[in-house]
Amino acid sequence: MSNTAAIRPGGPALPEWVRRLPEYLMIWVPLLLSAAHLVSFSLWTIWISFTPSTLIPVTGWVGLRNYTAVAASRNWQIALDNLLLFGCAFVVLSAATGLILAILLDQRIRGENVLRSIFLYPLAVSFVVTGTVWSWLLNPGLGIQKLVHDLGWTSFRFDWLIDRDMAIWTIVIAAIWQSSGFAMALFLAGLRSVDADIIKAAQIDGAGPVRIYRRIILPSLWPITITVVVIQLQFAISTFDLVRALTNGGPGIATQLPALVVYDLMFQRSLLGRGAAAAVLMLLILLAVLLPYAAWRYFQRRRAAHA
Amino acid sequence: MPITTTRRRLLAGSVATLALPAFARAQGAVKPRLTAISQWSAGSDGAAITALGKKFEEKGGVWQHSPVPGFTTEMMNKLRAQIMAGDPPACSQLKGPEIAAWSKIAPTVDLDAVVAAAGYEKVVAPDLAKLHKPGGKWIALPLQIYSTNMLFLSKRAMDKAKADKIPVTWAEFNDLAEKMKSGGVAFPIANGGTRPDDGQKFEAALAGISPLAYRAAIMNLEKKALEGPEIKAAFAQVRKIADWMDPNVGAQHFSTNLKRFVDGDMGMMIMGGWAQGVLRNAGFKFEDFTIAPGPSDNSKPVFLLNADAFIFWQRKEPDLQAGQTLMAQLVMDPAIQTMYSQITGSIPVRTDVDLSGEGWSEGQRTTAAALKNAIASNQAVLSMAHNMAQENGMTAAMIDVITEYVKNKTIKPEQAATRLAEAVEGAR
Repeated sequence: MSNTAAIRPGGPALPEWVRRLPEYLMIWVPLLLSAAHLVSFSLWTIWISFTPSTLIPVTGWVGLRNYTAVAASRNWQIALDNLLLFGCAFVVLSAATGLILAILLDQRIRGENVLRSIFLYPLAVSFVVTGTVWSWLLNPGLGIQKLVHDLGWTSFRFDWLIDRDMAIWTIVIAAIWQSSGFAMALFLAGLRSVDADIIKAAQIDGAGPVRIYRRIILPSLWPITITVVVIQLQFAISTFDLVRALTNGGPGIATQLPALVVYDLMFQRSLLGRGAAAAVLMLLILLAVLLPYAAWRYFQRRRAAHA
Repeated sequence: MPITTTRRRLLAGSVATLALPAFARAQGAVKPRLTAISQWSAGSDGAAITALGKKFEEKGGVWQHSPVPGFTTEMMNKLRAQIMAGDPPACSQLKGPEIAAWSKIAPTVDLDAVVAAAGYEKVVAPDLAKLHKPGGKWIALPLQIYSTNMLFLSKRAMDKAKADKIPVTWAEFNDLAEKMKSGGVAFPIANGGTRPDDGQKFEAALAGISPLAYRAAIMNLEKKALEGPEIKAAFAQVRKIADWMDPNVGAQHFSTNLKRFVDGDMGMMIMGGWAQGVLRNAGFKFEDFTIAPGPSDNSKPVFLLNADAFIFWQRKEPDLQAGQTLMAQLVMDPAIQTMYSQITGSIPVRTDVDLSGEGWSEGQRTTAAALKNAIASNQAVLSMAHNMAQENGMTAAMIDVITEYVKNKTIKPEQAATRLAEAVEGAR
């Protein structure tokens, strides 16, 4: 393609695109493959969602019937309510926990590396394990409640796992345990990247530690906070294994989440069309989070370029 | 690349066939081979199918069973994948209306000749036979029968309640539960809390209150019956049962509580006959519990039928075809059905098997007698909770309502009945 062929001493001139071929292959082949994968399967799912497919994919057209059926089902409505509650509570609380942990770790304490590993460790555990362990801890007949009872406080109650109104909070607890370490790591990196000179200057001006955090450090963490929130939100929307291991959507159908509904429709009820419709609705929810984020990033960059 | 694989395999298969000496083929000397998938991997179910495999091998066959542990739906996911790849197993577990549904997506084997040769049709309950010949031809064979509404009574809990009479109607059942409660049995009911478990409590209640209403509402989905008073009465009975259960049971499997049941901390269990196999496999003795037909308000046994079956998928390979014939013959064989049922605690599909001999339990004899009586009085109905009455989608829609009702004590029976009717409409 290039018309400015490079001249190499002592050898035949190779066109630029030939010399750069390995680079192109390294970048474009995997990129195109994964994009094709993602796009083709998304399109396939969207197509299925408009067909009357049940046991296996079939052709045919049912319009929006799958969508209306899913949207009208109790399972989906409960799943959406839960997603709203779980998404907000989980994102806010895990970011807050992560930030507090990061600030505490940032005090140049001894054993920081050990503590950081401990807080990051849950991230290395799979969600199924997290869900199973917490399902034991939170089971009133086996876990925390029984422990406290055995210690003598017999009127103590902590039975959220089997309480259909509170069960969704058990998922919040387990999810925070799992991922606040991740938020902590990001925040810690942010805290460390705050310019030390500015902090020194503030100290010279007589600002106390609280004031320094409130006025200088925390505002500079703003971009990291957005990143944490977006990453955690897309995790919240696609939560599946954690709920399946912890409550399996129960008690009854009280802790349904969209991903659980999709799986249930596709693989347990053998209603591929409806499952695909639910999956497409999930994709739309995800886009509702990611598109504003992309737009925000775009304007940030433009502003930075103009400044 | 499913197509290539199939072609290549076909080619390999035909080459192998050609390579066989002509006389050997004429004598049918292909070594029978069977590829099978089922959910039976462990416990008494796993032991039973392994024993069946041994018999298959004794007859000179090659047994290739791939169990997919978990619920039936997980086995179905593997089956679906294999069918879509053009490589179905020669034989797979499948049951109830799913046999008809799945037979539409892939060709099945016509078993009419081998069934006729065995004279099998005469010894199978007609309702059951119908499920296994959806297009008028046998394509699947039932293997064993369970009732999903057997009543298990803990001996020690009965002692605590100072009771010895087995309850026959729901009123007597409720009385006994109260007696157990006041006699110091912590939880008169010992069930688990999985979806099918919740579904079973409802179907046992409804069929026990009125088998006619059950047939109309659950099997035939008649709108009028779904809005009838029997449905509300059944939900009211389910609430009583749920109130007698350990609230900590959550979504546990029923087997979690078997020890407390045998110890008398829990009194009664409404469970399928398979619980006998599970109890025996866990090392408990027949003296620890009594098995009786589930409560029935007209005092005649109601049998909620659940039957495991094998469906046979068309294969071109001669060895697999020979394997399918051998397997079909084995599944229909009274000796094999006896062996299988004695391991799992079910009863044989054949109504001509004598259960009076060694190896059968009192519970199995009771179950077989209950089936006979229930068929005679037209009170043998198909289980909803175990996917015998309706296809998966409809069953799941119904169980959604039931499981939410069991776990949410603020829902009134009337509300639940309305929701059930709505759920059926939505899933049609």
